[in-house]
Amino acid sequence: MTANHDRPHSDPLLEMEGVSVNFPVKRAYPFSKRRWIQAVTDVSLRISEGETFGIVGESGCGKSTLANAMIGMVRPTAGTVRFQGDELYALKPKAFKQARRNMQMIFQDPFSSLNPRFTVYDIIREPLYIRGGASEAEMKAKVLELLKLVGLDEEDMYRNPSDFSGGQRQRIGIARAIVLNPKFLVCDEPVSGLDVSVHAQIMNLLMEIQESRNLTYVFISHNLAVVKNVCQNVLVMYLGKVMESGTSDALFANPLHPYTKALLSAVLDVDVEASHDRILLKGDTPSPIDPPKGCRFWQRCPFAMVGCETIPAEMVDVENLHQVACHLVSGFSPEHVAAGLDQPVSSLPQTWAD
Amino acid sequence: MSDTVLEVRNLKVAFPAPGGVIRAVEGIDLTTQKGECVALVGESGCGKSVTALSIMKLLRTPPSVSRIDRLELDDRDLTHLTERDMERVRGKDMAMIFQDAMTALNPVMTVGKQIDEVYRRHTKLSRKEAREETVKALELVGVPEARSRADSFPHELSGGMRQRVLIALAFACMPKLIIADEPTTSLDVTIQAQVLDVLKSMQKDHGVSALLITHDLSVVANMADTVYVMYSGKIVERGAVLELFTDPRHPYTEGLLGSVPKLSDDKQAFVQIPDTVPHPMHKPDGCYFHPRCSYATDRCRQHMPRLETLDKGRQVRCWHPLR
Repeated sequence: MTANHDRPHSDPLLEMEGVSVNFPVKRAYPFSKRRWIQAVTDVSLRISEGETFGIVGESGCGKSTLANAMIGMVRPTAGTVRFQGDELYALKPKAFKQARRNMQMIFQDPFSSLNPRFTVYDIIREPLYIRGGASEAEMKAKVLELLKLVGLDEEDMYRNPSDFSGGQRQRIGIARAIVLNPKFLVCDEPVSGLDVSVHAQIMNLLMEIQESRNLTYVFISHNLAVVKNVCQNVLVMYLGKVMESGTSDALFANPLHPYTKALLSAVLDVDVEASHDRILLKGDTPSPIDPPKGCRFWQRCPFAMVGCETIPAEMVDVENLHQVACHLVSGFSPEHVAAGLDQPVSSLPQTWAD
Repeated sequence: MSDTVLEVRNLKVAFPAPGGVIRAVEGIDLTTQKGECVALVGESGCGKSVTALSIMKLLRTPPSVSRIDRLELDDRDLTHLTERDMERVRGKDMAMIFQDAMTALNPVMTVGKQIDEVYRRHTKLSRKEAREETVKALELVGVPEARSRADSFPHELSGGMRQRVLIALAFACMPKLIIADEPTTSLDVTIQAQVLDVLKSMQKDHGVSALLITHDLSVVANMADTVYVMYSGKIVERGAVLELFTDPRHPYTEGLLGSVPKLSDDKQAFVQIPDTVPHPMHKPDGCYFHPRCSYATDRCRQHMPRLETLDKGRQVRCWHPLR
């Protein structure tokens, strides 16, 4: 791995503190109690400039909602998001727009994220056009430069997305995302809709672009092998909460949370000779409406203890920058056991910040 | 005869299209043994799903035009069976597990009823007996509280449960051959591990032969006994899973294996196969893989190599097989 795994820089590019996002559920009856989907609960993180930050978890665990909250698409119910030191959701509309220009997103499905009626030129030009201040010739030159960068030809400029394969469409999506020279790029499962042989092409392209433009990536994936190879820091989420976080070296060398272990063992390898002692999880992810009260993972945890179902597990430091929320690691404190059920979820300790 | 369950000889499928013919499958030979899991691996558009559908005889003419020299299931010739006779074979002697359980199941019918239907159609069980069998089938694939779950509709079940229902449906009459078309592609990693476990134990415990169609080499490594690698409508390599994975002979197989990220390696760059699969209407001259192949020579650009048999059932279609 290239980037240094030392302590992150003193001023992070993006910082989240105790971010929660809840979505209201439609009432079944007019006066019934309003219920909430707790998509993201109490997440704190720090992303420093130039790094690749991985978010891992199964579908429905809140990874995409968290990413949307990062780039100003979903206002968090609680907590703060700071981008380049400014609190993102407190900015005035004009400044907010300015900040948003520095953040872009690459979507999972290259078939539904490109307007089928636009030509490739229209698609890549659109952000420039909306920003304004560029002449037609300038925009054209810029689009051409980007097409070359992502490995497409000049002739492709006036074709429609339907003329391209999945991999090529994803290249168009990448070109569109970097046309405004953003600092921060969220890649939401950028390769999971593509063929295996194209995976590597797109991943290599993303890495090249990051190096040449000094971008900061948030890389969302459920493929741990990819995350391990590209990310410097990793966050493992389950049902809206952070289970474990740390540098990818520490986390993959020494996974502590049972969920991380299960995820790792569920990754099927192409190594036919290796033995497979898999931790098979029972059941499915529970609903994020009324999630389990204690540790969110306890119902599926093969090592669950009595207190796990009632007492929420808090993030504790295990080693430098490696944190885990599990009673197996932290143990139960006597006060916890005494206080029992209605112990409030206290916010995460601010250990990222030294 | 021997333990051969499925035998396919020289299957060809084409789709006439405006401006040319799409040759989806170009002469494929496949055999599966009793209790064996055979994987057909390839990228999207290489013709693997079309192969599966034509084995089930589910492709309609038009739009497809297909030709097959021999199609045998358990020593029974299916080549010239009528649609009516085929209906008796499907579900009973061979069954299919589809990729997307949400679209494969009927959304307005309880899952129990859909499995009952298989028994009602292929056996002489009464309604009540059929339901008993259904509950048993659901229990076999690990659906908890099978009796009450049988009365739920597909949308009430989670993705993993739906896929289990599809497996129960396919194994209902204990067919001789199961064709699984990308059975776990739409599932999460932890659920994928569960479902593959169920599929594998069902297949091995009941000695059913399986044809697994997938693009995911890691699934193949964990499930299959024999692997066929398909590229642009042709088989390019065949071999036992261990040999093929440890010692790939075709450059395409080597590239595919290299492009899978592994937990065990530390490199930052990914090994990539350049370019993409050729358009099925405009396939290149010579070996179809030569534009993407780093070992290509003039011979590769002009002539399509034959599928040569090496030792121990190993076959490779390459002028310069890797050593």
